[in-house]
Amino acid sequence: MNDFPELENELRALRPARPSPVLFERIEEAMVDCRAGASPARQPERLPYNWWSLGFGLVAAAAALVLLLARINTDQTRNKDKEVAQVASASETRPVSPASSGRSGVDGSISSNKFVPAGATQVVYNTRNEGLQFADGSRQPLRRLRYQTQQTWQWRNPSTGASLRVSYPSEEVVLIPVSGQ
Amino acid sequence: MDNIASHENWKSCFSEIGPGLLLFARQWTRSAADAEDIVQEAFVKLWRRNHRINNRALLYATVRSIALDFIRRDKRRARREATVFADADSTVEPQFEWEDEAQSALAAAVNCLPHDQREVLVLKIWNELTFSEIAGALGISQNTAASRYRYALANLKKSLQPQ
Repeated sequence: MNDFPELENELRALRPARPSPVLFERIEEAMVDCRAGASPARQPERLPYNWWSLGFGLVAAAAALVLLLARINTDQTRNKDKEVAQVASASETRPVSPASSGRSGVDGSISSNKFVPAGATQVVYNTRNEGLQFADGSRQPLRRLRYQTQQTWQWRNPSTGASLRVSYPSEEVVLIPVSGQ
Repeated sequence: MDNIASHENWKSCFSEIGPGLLLFARQWTRSAADAEDIVQEAFVKLWRRNHRINNRALLYATVRSIALDFIRRDKRRARREATVFADADSTVEPQFEWEDEAQSALAAAVNCLPHDQREVLVLKIWNELTFSEIAGALGISQNTAASRYRYALANLKKSLQPQ
């Protein structure tokens, strides 16, 4: 592989110029400034996790809201069924099977109050290449890409036509191994 | 020596790697002062982010990235980049401390190398990076790094041969 050992030795004997003493002072000053100002640990790396937490929180809140609405509507339907059953037994015009009446009523209410997922979109509105980095103990370089997106989730009630939509911003950092041959 | 942030004796560490870093930065600048600005910024940036100083590919990739930003930052330089950088191979000079005429001729021959070959040569010879690390720092494959290195040596050999 190495066809030029002598030339390499000659090149190594050629010494690059040393940095000026002023550079040492400047670096030291810059480090002191950094220490006095922003803490080295305070970096924007934490930001995506906060966004994710916010996103998950919103989704969880939306899911809880859907469940709450479904529960309220189901309870109301059950109450109506009970009233209908009481009226029927009082008038005795027609024998009504409570079981079949109740079941069909509840089934109908569940199906009418059921929200089904209708769509999910993720719009990437910004991508930033943050350069190369190395994972701890790894010699494989990784390219760090930051995606900023707007995520939207949608549910729809097929029987009532009601829909629920939750939209929130999110940020994602992706590390892509840089391949070497 | 693991981490710049916790590295008490960073000066001795910088004394060791500083000349090579500076030479690498000089690939994109005309003056030593500009190269020192770039090296300072890269070194402090790594320190701020708690990166390890022995992660050499990252260190040189940072120097390179800052050097390119440095060029773009100045509009005049950016304009010159297209025109001057095309023939920058003969005008952007790495700095060496030579002792005799032979070394002076060698330094001049290094300065005349094409930019991509000289870049790899500087990283390999004066910064002692492996081809894997060079590939990581420059965003090229190891094979490309190795072949640029061989071309650089072949071109140097050819230019140093007596006419």
